[in-house]
Amino acid sequence: METVKVAFTVNNEETVLQVSPNETLLETLRERLDLTGAKESCGIGSCGACTVEVNGLPLRSCIVLTSEMQGADITTVEGLNREGKLHPLQQTFMEEGAVQCGFCTSGMIMTAKTLLDKNNQPTQKEIIKTISSNVCRCTGYKKIVKAVGEASKKTA
Amino acid sequence: MILPGFEYRKATSVADAIALYNDFEGKARYLAGGTDLMPLLKYRLAAPAAIIDLKGIEELKAIAAIDGWLTIGANVTLFELKNHPVVKEYFPLLYQSLDATSCETLQMRATIGGNLLQDTRCIEYNKSLEWRAARGFCLKMGGKCCNVVPHSRVCLSNYCSDNALSLVALSAEADLAEAGGEKTAGLEKIYTGSGSKPFVVEPGTLLTRIRIPLEKSKGVYEKLRVRNSIDYPLAAVAVAMKKSVARVCVGGVGPAPLVYELAGTDEGTLRDAANSASTDARAVPNAILSPAYRKKMVGVLFRRAVQKVLREGA
Amino acid sequence: MEDNLNIVGKRVVRSDSLAKVTGRARYTADLKMPNMLVAKVLRSPHPHAKILAIDLDGARKVPGVKAAISGFDGSGIKWGVFRYTQDHAMLPTDKVRYIGEDVAAVAAVDEETALEALSRIRVDYEPLPSVFDPLEAMREGAPIIHEQYKNNINIHVHIDVGDVDKAMESAFLVREDTFKAAGEAYAMMEPYAVVASFQNGFLDLWMPNAGPHVRAKALANLLKMPLNKVRVRHINSGGAFGGRSEVAPADLVASLLSIKADRPVKLVLSREENATSSRQIHDMSATIKTAMSKDGTIVAKDLRAIYDGGAYSSTGPIATSVPFYVYEECYRFPNIRYNGYRIITNKGIRGMYGCHGRAFLAGNEAQMDLMAKELGLDPVEIRLKNGLRAGEMTATKSRITSCGLQETIETTARKTDFQKRWAKPQKLEGIGMGCVAIMCGFPMGFRSGSSCYLKINDDGYVTLVTGVVDNGQGNESMVIQAASEILGVPMEDINLVNADTEITNLDPGAYSQAAAFVSTNAVKIACEKARKQIVAIAAEKLAVSETDIALKNRLVYSVANPEKKMPIAWVVREAFARAEPVVATGTFFPDIDLEREWISRPWGQMAGTFSYATSVAEIAVDSETGMITMPRFTAAHDCGRAINPMAVEGQIEGSVQQAGVAAITEGNLWDGGHLLNPDLLEYKVPLACDMPEIDAIIVESGDPVGPFGAKEGGIAIRMNAYSAVACALTNATGVLFKEMPLTPDKVLEMVEKATEEKG
Ligand SMILES: Cc1cc2nc3c(=O)[nH]c(=O)nc-3n(C[C@H](O)[C@H](O)[C@H](O)COP(=O)(O)OP(=O)(O)OC[C@H]3O[C@@H](n4cnc5c(N)ncnc54)[C@H](O)[C@@H]3O)c2cc1C
Ligand code: FES
Ligand code: FES
Repeated sequence: METVKVAFTVNNEETVLQVSPNETLLETLRERLDLTGAKESCGIGSCGACTVEVNGLPLRSCIVLTSEMQGADITTVEGLNREGKLHPLQQTFMEEGAVQCGFCTSGMIMTAKTLLDKNNQPTQKEIIKTISSNVCRCTGYKKIVKAVGEASKKTA
Repeated sequence: MILPGFEYRKATSVADAIALYNDFEGKARYLAGGTDLMPLLKYRLAAPAAIIDLKGIEELKAIAAIDGWLTIGANVTLFELKNHPVVKEYFPLLYQSLDATSCETLQMRATIGGNLLQDTRCIEYNKSLEWRAARGFCLKMGGKCCNVVPHSRVCLSNYCSDNALSLVALSAEADLAEAGGEKTAGLEKIYTGSGSKPFVVEPGTLLTRIRIPLEKSKGVYEKLRVRNSIDYPLAAVAVAMKKSVARVCVGGVGPAPLVYELAGTDEGTLRDAANSASTDARAVPNAILSPAYRKKMVGVLFRRAVQKVLREGA
Repeated sequence: MEDNLNIVGKRVVRSDSLAKVTGRARYTADLKMPNMLVAKVLRSPHPHAKILAIDLDGARKVPGVKAAISGFDGSGIKWGVFRYTQDHAMLPTDKVRYIGEDVAAVAAVDEETALEALSRIRVDYEPLPSVFDPLEAMREGAPIIHEQYKNNINIHVHIDVGDVDKAMESAFLVREDTFKAAGEAYAMMEPYAVVASFQNGFLDLWMPNAGPHVRAKALANLLKMPLNKVRVRHINSGGAFGGRSEVAPADLVASLLSIKADRPVKLVLSREENATSSRQIHDMSATIKTAMSKDGTIVAKDLRAIYDGGAYSSTGPIATSVPFYVYEECYRFPNIRYNGYRIITNKGIRGMYGCHGRAFLAGNEAQMDLMAKELGLDPVEIRLKNGLRAGEMTATKSRITSCGLQETIETTARKTDFQKRWAKPQKLEGIGMGCVAIMCGFPMGFRSGSSCYLKINDDGYVTLVTGVVDNGQGNESMVIQAASEILGVPMEDINLVNADTEITNLDPGAYSQAAAFVSTNAVKIACEKARKQIVAIAAEKLAVSETDIALKNRLVYSVANPEKKMPIAWVVREAFARAEPVVATGTFFPDIDLEREWISRPWGQMAGTFSYATSVAEIAVDSETGMITMPRFTAAHDCGRAINPMAVEGQIEGSVQQAGVAAITEGNLWDGGHLLNPDLLEYKVPLACDMPEIDAIIVESGDPVGPFGAKEGGIAIRMNAYSAVACALTNATGVLFKEMPLTPDKVLEMVEKATEEKG
């Protein structure tokens, strides 16, 4: 296999890597860049635990190749709190009790973030629709929906 | 779960993509959003020598309403398409099926081309290599018999594209590019009816555009699924109504969508049509709900969808 | 109940959530160590086959492979929770008993190499006839899976109280029905993972687990190592729900590989392996015969439940008994017989589940509603009439000390206008109620108690050391909150050191509903001792009486004269100077009957206390598709006292998803021994858009022994939400369900049957 050179930005940091063509973005983030916030749960795109933001869109990183990331602007959950300040979603997820085991949490937060970035006053229905991309086994989603709604008030 | 080894190439044009395909002597796969292809690779259901990324081909990203057609580049994502004003205004049916496809996150990555050319699915097929090795290889994996219907010589895996049904109902056409040049086919003509090899198109053929006649239509999409997001259809019916002609497309059951033109919309005609659609549906125990039920639901959804369209017309 | 509390009872931010929202919380698969190897497991492709030979040579020759093992490298010891259930070698040498069973494994420098090595392992099998249906497995002549279990009967729990037959004969109304339910998948979002690191004779392990001490004990036995050399360490867990309670084959695999390679080893299961080869939930059926008097009093029950136990015993007797107990702890049964059978089949290994026993519990509840209706009663009346009350004894002689059952029934009924709506259901709309009780702790012998150690450092910050483990439900935060209350310091001043077997004392773990009642009690006792010491010194220094002292905001002060105060840190330093540092231990052992045994002596006090709950589901059924929609769900839980109401609500809401909506969507599907939905796509964990509106109601009966009155807040709704759904469906259709999950195909059959019956 010929390795592929890819240059992209992760959490505002320019990154240049030589990767195997069959390496997934999730593997690159977790294994090479020590960004283990994104999780592998299903590995085949059906749960959203691995969601990160790429060029403003939520992406299931377990089913994309790092080779596809040339020039991409990537944000992971680790990149959300800047200068010691939590992102409103991180704050409201804590305050509303939207986190139990936490395994779905970074994927949920990243999915919700891409929603709030383009629609900072989503209706409850819109929030539910967006987070219905992700599976959570613990919470019954009520507090997640609430947390996203509360965060939208803070970002508005 | 790691991917098998392969080379990665990024095509810059349609011609480039086809040339790359030929460079790898056909042992390559095109990659659009990868939401269908990557899971297949992870499960070792495909083992290409190379992946040819189509996302760099600008011309495949355009949507245009010209010359009486809505022309949609194969790489347009489902989410972009869903939110396109022409789709909302002219093709409510397509809007509904796009909206019912998987979930928002996947819609933002998945392309319409990939959606149409996604592989057929079966509950005994979409599994890891280890799982399938323990079960024994089936027809679709090159084995000798079907694991679902023991003596069947044809594979009846399900074609699960939601949007193919809408597009077929809307009489869409597909533009296909091959080494020899371009050709156009009615979308409903691209299916073989066999799950082992669902599409008639030659390997290496590139789907470049989908074109829908630009006429306003009414439409309803009815999809049977257990969860209201993420899930593939277990049976689905698309109805497009132009003037007073209804074109109905049934899918999610069996390897190819089936299309019906409704001669009339009176109760009796509708009942008969719904019944025959139900009879035609080749449901076998290859999904999570029973085949008898899925077959029955084809009829129910058929009738419902048409009635809904009619009600909207009133 | 004490009500002048500062922190307990408040909606506090959980102590573990900051790390989780920032992506910093570490789970097992996130761990990296120098020289760490990747492990992969070779699994059985056969449901039942004799192992003739395992040849690992080919694997060992692959460059980059550092160890390859099979069961022949193990001690030959078989694991079981009880002496009579020791049947699970974890890595078999005689035969394989299910598809996906661990057979051999390798550790290599990377995953590709490990996979290559697996393909070089040769195993010779002689396939044997297999059996997948428990009823077939019980028949004469069925293939025998373990020699010691005749007719594949692994466990038979027999309980017989009163005179059931006689009561049946003279009863006014008798009815018998059979219910089935598919086993579920735990589907915890974190696939199972183990990191094992063997160095200098010591084995360190990280894995999601619901009880580090029981895990270490089982592994120490399997590896023939002393307990203090097998150390299960703290790590975050991505959900357990009962599925991380017992030692797993992967634990032994990773341990043996690490010992052999003398390097750390990481084994992460794929989602599919997590389903086929970690643990599953019992498929089951229940035949329920009930006798009632004319006024609706339940006079007798004759119950028979059959659990498909898969290939090994696991927690066999417990799994076979629990559905019965949570039922008998809820209602009054003068005459009751239970025959629970756990049957071995050639399917994956099974364990306890937070929602265990749905065919049995939902069956009992739905049948009761139909009988009540026949007698002119409604579900509320029949439950109030037969429900146990504080002070009463259960059929198997457990005393109920605190009981909010009535209040949960009445509150949910009032809030949903239950009785009116039940009496006049709209066509194909229904409302249903389910009740249950939960024991807070199982009898686990000397492991039933918990012990805590705490010290206050010279800066006034606190270190709390306890075996309590958190699988996401919030146990860590709960004990910190309790300590914060008593010691008068903010939660963030308390450092919790927990779930590490070399440091912490015994604890029952998080799978027997004991964390609040038992473990938090131990923490409370330790904190009270420390507090007492602080109070004594402070009273002396401030020259006030000890009864006048309070602790709050890191200060000790006089209640009568709040100007008189000093920092707790000063008192702590003073204590050091007096050579009596503020350190304390606290131990709590619940008042249970230690003679009680699941099979040989199934009576006596089961647990220190019992929690109660009622669920109400409102549904509508589509008459043509059989699809159920559920607009609203109301759930009231008597958790004794909600230490953190936000966490208890979260548990209730999660339970509505995992048991209530799951009653419609979730079930394992099988083709013989092949699991058809070992993924998160075809196994239907409900999504946000599938959830009803939820009204989560906390009822606080205030247990006399529980810490601050607390019992448990995590499971009761999980054990009755499906009953509410089943009962609502009976209300909507007039007929009983036959099998869960209530997928639209089955519901449509019910609707059609109901229409037929109406003629
Ligand atoms: C969890 C999950 C749920 C899903 N649910 C649904 C659902 O409900 N309904 C539904 O319809 N689909 C569903 N899908 C399938 C999939 O997401 C969509 O079908 C998607 O539109 C595929 O597009 P893609 O761009 O990702 O295709 P890719 O995976 O990139 O490609 C799919 C196939 O088409 C080929 N291909 C792609 N583009 C071209 C081209 N231009 N010319 C020739 N060949 C091409 C590829 O080689 C590949 O074989 C789901 C997928 C997942 C993972
Ligand atoms: S791990 Fe990527 S979608 Fe599940
Ligand atoms: S919090 Fe556990 S999966 Fe969402």
